[in-house]
Formats: sequence, structure tokens, C-alpha cells
Amino acid sequence: MATDLPSLMQNVVAPLVKIVLLIGGLMTAAAYFVLLERWMAAWVQDRRGPNRVGIPLTRIKLLGLGQPLADGIKFITKEEYTPAHVDKPIYILAPIVILAAALAIFAVIPFGSVLPPIPGIPGLDKEPIPLLVAPGLDPSLVFVFALSSIAVFPVILGGWASNNKYSFLGGLRSSAQLIAYEIPLGLGILGVALVSGSIRLDKVIVDQAASGVWNAFLQPLGLLVFVVAAFAEAARLPFDLPEAEQELIGGYHTEYAGLKLLLFLVAEFLHMITAAFLIVILFFGGWHLWGLTGFSEESISWAQALLRIAVLSAKVFLVILFFMMVRWSWPRFRFDQLMALAWKVLLPLGLVNLVVVAVMVEYGGTLKSQFGGGVYWIFAISGWLALIAAWVVAALVSPSHDDNTPRRAAQKFDTEAEFYRTF
Amino acid sequence: MTLDALVRNPLTWGTLLFAVGIWLLLPRGATRGWWLGLVITLVSLGLFASRMPALGDWASTGTFGFLAAVTVIAAVMTITLKNPVYCAIWFALSLLGTAGLFMLQGSQFLGVATIVVYAGAILVTFLFVLMLANPEGHASYDRLSWEAPLSAITGAFMVGVLTFALVGVFNPPDAFDTKFSTVEIDRTGEILAGEHMAHLGGQLFSRHLVAVELAGTLLLVAMVGCVAIVAEAKSRRGQPASRKRQRPKSASREPQRPELRAGEALR
Repeated sequence: MATDLPSLMQNVVAPLVKIVLLIGGLMTAAAYFVLLERWMAAWVQDRRGPNRVGIPLTRIKLLGLGQPLADGIKFITKEEYTPAHVDKPIYILAPIVILAAALAIFAVIPFGSVLPPIPGIPGLDKEPIPLLVAPGLDPSLVFVFALSSIAVFPVILGGWASNNKYSFLGGLRSSAQLIAYEIPLGLGILGVALVSGSIRLDKVIVDQAASGVWNAFLQPLGLLVFVVAAFAEAARLPFDLPEAEQELIGGYHTEYAGLKLLLFLVAEFLHMITAAFLIVILFFGGWHLWGLTGFSEESISWAQALLRIAVLSAKVFLVILFFMMVRWSWPRFRFDQLMALAWKVLLPLGLVNLVVVAVMVEYGGTLKSQFGGGVYWIFAISGWLALIAAWVVAALVSPSHDDNTPRRAAQKFDTEAEFYRTF
Repeated sequence: MTLDALVRNPLTWGTLLFAVGIWLLLPRGATRGWWLGLVITLVSLGLFASRMPALGDWASTGTFGFLAAVTVIAAVMTITLKNPVYCAIWFALSLLGTAGLFMLQGSQFLGVATIVVYAGAILVTFLFVLMLANPEGHASYDRLSWEAPLSAITGAFMVGVLTFALVGVFNPPDAFDTKFSTVEIDRTGEILAGEHMAHLGGQLFSRHLVAVELAGTLLLVAMVGCVAIVAEAKSRRGQPASRKRQRPKSASREPQRPELRAGEALR
């Protein structure tokens, strides 16, 4: 490592500034997304929601914008109760690991395009500054995968260390669910990687911006598979079996209180934000918007740079709103439905998408020489045809949505003892 | 290498002490000698580290030393603790250290894939099985080390041989104390290029295509074997394999239920 000032600025100071901005922004965003989620819940359920807390010690209400602060103070000042029957080291370790892993994912997620060089600051005055903490990491999508697979550990271990049947069940469910849905998630990503020829998130965006065609138009089936799998990975409502309040009290964090519980909850929100970022970056063009943001990363003006950040944030915000709407629109799956969806529906659909995209990429070159820009229409039409065909097949093969009978035939027993004897 | 050089080489003593220390640390039933084992193991690791070539400036040396220490100490903890769940956690930490070492060498994909495959998939399955199989973790046969002396000696032997080989590669045999000197290989055009993943994929699917296909076939065979086992169990019982085993009809002391056949749906 060279220790002269320009490289010090470039390699140490600039990343630290980005990290500080990112963590500060994410923590504030997570707090206010909780408020937003409660507002959305209230709106969907036709009630008022939190609207009282404003500036402390005054009567100013500010639409309830002080609520996150009050929630934070409540969590911090709550009694840090540790039950006597827990396995203490792991019990303490679990929330720390889950938050650390959830935050570390953002090392490779771009939160904008680039900033123009800043004159006067050594090291930053020559090249554009990428708005990405770790710009050199080439397999950045695999890095996201790695850290989200690390996030499985604290859930299992927290459930195990709590020494409580409900927590343990939550942990087990969660591990099965996360492992199962990583496969369709990966299949969704593979389609994008084939089209872009890279698994660097910033390159995926630049690729879509240069062509002006977002991946969502070309491979809607991939988008569908990826979004459903991302919901499951973030354990959002139709897939929140790990902590299903009505059955498991709170799942793996039943025995947690105070700050440790807060770490778990913040990490869950960060997972949702990560999923929203990934959906936007992979399928909706990241910071790109036609006619507004341009597509070059070499020369860029300040206005354009800020506009790109705003476009990306707005898209992420819309996806998060969608996440929150789904939460109040869809009942929770049963566990066998959950597993059947992953293995029998999403996995084949993901494979179909991958095959269609692979064929298109293979013959894309020859088609392009023949049709020019019209090749994207061929891509898009075949993608949508694949979606419609796969959807029809899935609807015909799997039971209709209102069929709530168990998949396996039930068996009638006259006495309870007779049931237990079958084991 | 003569016997004299071997005796004067700290690596020899490091290997021997490592075997003794690990043997003392391994859970053999008695807890005597744990502290002694810890001290001996640390001394042997120090002996190994004394042969470590310098890596340029303090920052890269420090990073390497930290990651290496995390990896080795976590690995030692993995095999010496008694609670299987703790062993799994230390194993995960060791894998993270390994991934960090890969990253330090510039092989980004290998580092990240180590976490995905080992920590993310295999170790989670371990944990799953450990927790389901024996949640109490009190079975003595699970908490003891089998063949402690043999495994300690084998492990130390392997570590020693590898270290000897590496030191021999990096340092000429008659100049052990010279600085890190090896042939500079220009790898910038190969897999360490900017488009790391694309180059790696290109290498895998051109030069190493047969190996990739063989590995894939191996996994496929394993999967076919799984399916065959399930199908056989299914046909033996004459019903879905996922169902719990029914009691054999001959052993039943209860009267049969003729009106409710197994598998009849209640819709």
C-alpha cells in the first residue's frame, strides 16, 4: 500500500466517507421505513396509524414523523433481559452477526452512478468517483449471495440458543426456506448475467443504460422468479414463516428483547432494502431513465450525477412500497405450499427463462446483423411468450389458488392413540 | 537435506510440538493438560510463523497475519471443542478466514465461492442435522475424539510437509533467511485481470472443461442414487416415501379399519 497523500485519499478516506454515508443513510432509512410500513398498514386497513409523535416536549405533531426516534429510545431503554435458559455466547452473537452481514452486503451495491472528479482534493481530482464502497470486486453478485447465506446462521443459531421450542421451529423453518429459495434466486440472476456478460452490479446497470432496454422487458419470467424468491429470502409476509406471530409467537427472536431484538428487526428491514436494490439494479435499469440520466460513466456533470442518485432512490422506494403493499394483500403460505412453490414452480420457471435467454444470447449476434436495433423486439417478444406459456402450464399443473386442502391426503383416526401408533 | 539441518530447523520442532499440543487439546475424556496443550500449540504456531517470508509492507503482512491467525486458531477450536454446535461456528469462522486469504491473493471468486458453498450450504446442513439429530448434545461418543494420537500425528505431519514444501519453494535451501524471493509471474492478462469472472469462466470451460464435466457428472450420479434409494423405499412400502413408516400389518394388535384405507382423502 502506497502511503502518499493521493492514494491515501483514494483508497482509505474516500471509502470511509462512503461507508459512513451509507450506514448513516441506511439506518435512518430503516427507521423511517418502519414508520412508512405502519402508515401503509393503517391505510390498507382503513385506520389512522401513528400520527401523534412530533417534536418532543411541544405540541407539534408533524404527522408522526418523530415516531422512529421514540421507537429507538424505547428499544434502547428497555430492559436487556436475558433468559436464564439460553446458551449465552451464541445468544449474544446471533443478532450481531445478522446485522453485520446485512450491512456488509452494501459494500458491493451501487447507490448511484459516479461523481465527477472533485478539483482541489488530491487523489480524487482525476477520475470519476464510483458511488460504490468496493468498486474493484468483480464477482459482486456472488458476494451478495455469500453474505445472504451467512445471514442464515444467526437465524438458526438464535433459534437454537434461545432454547425454546417456538424459536427453534422458527430457525429450522427459516433455514429450509432460505436454502430452497436461493436456487430460483440464482436462476433469476443467471439470466441477467448472460445478457450483460458480467456479474458486476455496476456493469449490469451500465449495460442496460447503454442499450436503453431494461432487463425486465426482455425476461419478464426471470423478473417474476427473482421477485418471488427475493420476497422469500427477505422473509417478507407471504413467506414470513420463520417468525409467524400467530403460530410461533415471534419465531427465532421470541426470546430477544431490547437492543438485541432491535438488531434483528433492523437486519430484516435491511434485507428488504437489499432485495429492492437488487430488483431495481438487475431488472429495472438501476439509475437509468430514458431522456433524463444519459448513459456515459466517463464524463458526467454534477446535475446528472445527483439526478442518477435520485432516480435510483425513487425506483428503490417504489419497489419497497410494493413490498409493503404485498404484505397486506396476501395471506401467509403453509409450509408445504412454500416448499412446493420453490421446487415445483419457481425452479422449472427459472430454468425455462434461462433456456430462452441462452438461446437468444447465442443467436443474438447473427440476429443483430440482420435486424439491427430490432433485435430487442425479438428478445422481448420471445421473453413474454415464454412468460405466458410457462404461466399457463403452471396454472394448469398446480392446483388453483383457492384450493387450500393439504397436498397429501389426510387420514382419519378415531382416537389420538391410533394416530401416534402410526409413527 | 541432512539430519543435522533437519534438527536445526525450527519447522521440525514446530511440527513435533504441534502434534503434542493438538493431542493434549483434543477432547479425550479427561480435561487434564488443556492449558499445557494450548501453550504448546501456540509455541508451535510461533515456530511455524518464524519461517514466514516477509510480504512487503506492514499493511499486507498485518492483514495476512491476522487472517492466517483467525483461520488457524478457529480450525484448532473446531476440532478441540466438545459441543458440536460451537464446533460448527468455529468452522464457519475458519472458512471466513480462508475466504479472506483467497481475496488477499486476488482470487476473488474463489474467496466468495468458499463462503457460498461451504459456509452457506454445507455448514448450514451440518447445523440442521446436528440440531435435529441430538439437540441435547450429551452423547459421549459425539463429544470425544476418536483415535486422538493418530489424528494429531497425521494432521501435524501434513501441516509439516506442506510447510516444508512451501518454504523450500519460496526460499533456496541454503539461504533460509533471505527475503521472500520468487519468480515474478505476470498474471495480469490471465484470471487476475479486471474482468476476473469472465476470464475464470473462460478458463474453466475451455482448458478445464473435462474436469468441470466430470465433477458435474459425479454430482448427477449422487442425485440419481438419492432418487433410487427413495424410489426403492417407496416401492417397498407401496406408498409415498415422505410418509412416516406404517406399522407392519402382522404386528398390529388393533382391529383393522376396513372403511378407512390408508391414503383416502377427506375432502
